[in-house]
Amino acid sequence: MSDKRNIMFEIARGLIAITIAIAVAFLLIFASSDDPASALQCLLIRPVWTSGALNTKSILTILGRTTPMIFTGLAVCVMFSANQFNLGGEGAVMAGGFVAALVGIYVPMSAGLHVVASVLIGTITGGLIMIIPAVLKVKLKASEMVSSLMLNYVVMYIVLHFLNMNFADRSKGATQTFPMESTSLIGKMVTGTELTWGFPVAIIATILVAIFMYRTRWGYTIRMIGINESFSKYSGMKVGAVLVISQVIGGALSGMGGAIEVLGRYETFRWQGLPGYGWTGLTVAILAKNNPILVPFAALFIAYLDRGCELMSIYAGVPAEMIDIIQAVIFLFFAAEQFMAKTKHKMVVKGAKEEMKQIELAKEGGDL
Amino acid sequence: MENNEYVVQMKGITKVYPNGVAANQGVDFNVRKGEIHALMGENGAGKSTLMKMLFGLEQPTEGEIFVNGEKVHLSSPNVAIAKGIGMVHQHFMLVPSLTVAENIVMGMEPKKGLFINYKEAVRLTEEFSQKYNLHVDPQAKVRDIPVGMKQKVEILKALVRGAKILILDEPTAVLTTQETEELFKELVHLKEQGYTLIFISHKLNEIKQITDRLTIVRAGKSMGVHETATTSKEEISRLMVGRDVVLTVEKDKAQPTDVVLRVSELEYTNDWKKKMLDKISFDVRKGEILGIAGVEGNGQKELVEMLFNLNIPDDGEVTVNGKNVIGVPQKDIRGYGVSLIPEDRMVFGIAGTGTIEENIMSDRCSDQKYNKGPLFNMKAMHEDSDKLIAEYKVLCKSRKQQVGMLSGGNIQKVVVAREFSAEPCLIIADQPTRGIDVGATEFIRKKLVELSREGAAVLLVSADLNEVMELSDSLMIMYNGKIAAYFEDTSVLTDSMMGEYMLGLKQQSDEEVRRVIHE
Repeated sequence: MSDKRNIMFEIARGLIAITIAIAVAFLLIFASSDDPASALQCLLIRPVWTSGALNTKSILTILGRTTPMIFTGLAVCVMFSANQFNLGGEGAVMAGGFVAALVGIYVPMSAGLHVVASVLIGTITGGLIMIIPAVLKVKLKASEMVSSLMLNYVVMYIVLHFLNMNFADRSKGATQTFPMESTSLIGKMVTGTELTWGFPVAIIATILVAIFMYRTRWGYTIRMIGINESFSKYSGMKVGAVLVISQVIGGALSGMGGAIEVLGRYETFRWQGLPGYGWTGLTVAILAKNNPILVPFAALFIAYLDRGCELMSIYAGVPAEMIDIIQAVIFLFFAAEQFMAKTKHKMVVKGAKEEMKQIELAKEGGDL
Repeated sequence: MENNEYVVQMKGITKVYPNGVAANQGVDFNVRKGEIHALMGENGAGKSTLMKMLFGLEQPTEGEIFVNGEKVHLSSPNVAIAKGIGMVHQHFMLVPSLTVAENIVMGMEPKKGLFINYKEAVRLTEEFSQKYNLHVDPQAKVRDIPVGMKQKVEILKALVRGAKILILDEPTAVLTTQETEELFKELVHLKEQGYTLIFISHKLNEIKQITDRLTIVRAGKSMGVHETATTSKEEISRLMVGRDVVLTVEKDKAQPTDVVLRVSELEYTNDWKKKMLDKISFDVRKGEILGIAGVEGNGQKELVEMLFNLNIPDDGEVTVNGKNVIGVPQKDIRGYGVSLIPEDRMVFGIAGTGTIEENIMSDRCSDQKYNKGPLFNMKAMHEDSDKLIAEYKVLCKSRKQQVGMLSGGNIQKVVVAREFSAEPCLIIADQPTRGIDVGATEFIRKKLVELSREGAAVLLVSADLNEVMELSDSLMIMYNGKIAAYFEDTSVLTDSMMGEYMLGLKQQSDEEVRRVIHE
């Protein structure tokens, strides 16, 4: 089967998985809403089209919401490419956001420098956290999946501890920090929306990660180790070091996503629990088939659904948890490798036959 | 109306694998009752696929199968066994920690109440063993018995299950000359008792010796059925590969100079407390090919692992041009100029879902030549990959094709292209042509000789007697973790001489073996 046909098949397979997921969502909406028609309208149309006109504000909000998902999606891409099922993105996002906020509050710097420094320190924090599961994996063969998953909660409680005990603004009703300096905040691209300058940064990050993965020796090494570790070792690659590096990069991207989210959308740090972007990043990376270039599109899809569900819960009384169910269904169909395998096999057979025929024809042509 | 002359009839069989490989295209295959029928073809020609379908391991995409004139749908090996078909796989399907008798009755154990009636199992094994003249020790653990006996166990396993038609997949690949002779006697004995045997092989001599008729498959298609007696070896060879294969490699006399690889007093005991390497010492000089022959499992695999730091020996030294190799990262070993063609190419040789280009570049991705600052120099990579693909005649659509989609021979060519193009001063070739087609085999062998004559030291480890005898300038035989014999000149050797050392019937004196160390 030609590569082109293969790609077409994968796209079709993805679309069918999404369609089935949405169909399941429809069933649930019909079951749970008093007014299914308007609920569907809220889910599918209202995010972009309201009262007969393009809803620019909503569209920009959706774009804005893709920002953290793009970062965590990229993070998962890098780690999964190395065959490292690291689920620590969640903790890295939270810690990155928290530390970036602290720099924003307590370390005054000149405008311009302040925001960059805050984001960078948040990024580094995310990267440092991932050293723990990575080294445990390489040195002690502890499953990175388990240790990183557990680490999320360790990180969360450490952040909450410091937030509550050391950095809380007691004058406020809810637990939150003092306001960040305005020099550390990321400006809005369009005022009055959730779209910040973090979005173009996410797009640039996407391009850089794609180049890193496909055009540099480090990205290449990560991918080869992901395919076959024994082969990589035998080829002379430093497997252990690269396994650590891939996870540190994943942590750094997550940390950067957390920092940009906190500095872009809030005036104070106020997360009371894991923000959920790490988990969404898993779905995004799976939708994007670990291909960095596809990450923004996958994030856009999730953000769109997210917004639709939000509107559904506001205007049609459908529980906001619906998005989780839809995500879970998509996840199932995408992750199931055998989904539509029979159709694929039929296509393969057809392709092989055509190829054989062409070879025969070419031979006959040669004989004449 | 089906012809009852045939016990097995496969008609118009087409098989397309999920990866798009059309392994069989409209193949007809008929076997008469009570004959030994050879199924021949190069590796990748589709003979294993055809037999997997007959044994129910794979289902044909198109075509029909008849057994004893009755149309059958062989959906699993259990169905095939019920129809009286048995298969002896190339890689034995035995449980090493169980006894011979336990292996033979596995899945159909005679019971005594809730427990397995072990005595009955032993009795059954002995009964069949005597009836068919296949002598095995029912009480021995499978891991302790020699390869030849394991094969007998496999055959008995099939017979006990009521097989009347036996498929033997390259049964002699792992046997010594003597064991092969013994196996052939047993097979003829089975034939005389009315059994039908399908014999998969690509060894011409064996086919001529034992089979009645032969079917040749080439590139997934049948090249017809032939009477063995009236078909010459040259004819078979021509039908198999579509051209006359030169089965010998021409080479000048070696002019060895300095020692490149030096192994001294290497010792290794494996996890099961078996001594795999017992104070092995030898060296390989620039410009010569030193062959290591021996039945598999006598320490060759472990030895190669030690030379590339894929395992750590208990004691001893390995140096390349005076530099220590033990415990040194592979990158540095490669930096010393060592190349390895690994025994298991799917595990060590390639990254299956990577492209051909990515697989060629794996050892050199950080070379100056292929990098411009932090980025890859894609142009240089493309140029060199295309050059190597052309030079090593890798059959593919482009450098972007997934390497795992290629046939075994072409995968090996990718591995060899990478290893040979690294300008090695020492090449370790572990089973370099195992399971690949004649064309690729010939190509790789010629390259090995060429590189050695250009000044590389070559250590060739191979279970293929022809290969080691043909290619090696000097040769040593490993038996039980020791060097059983060393021959400075391979031209005087014969198969049976080597067989005696390989089976441990003979052992050279220490003085004779020590000649392999050149001071």
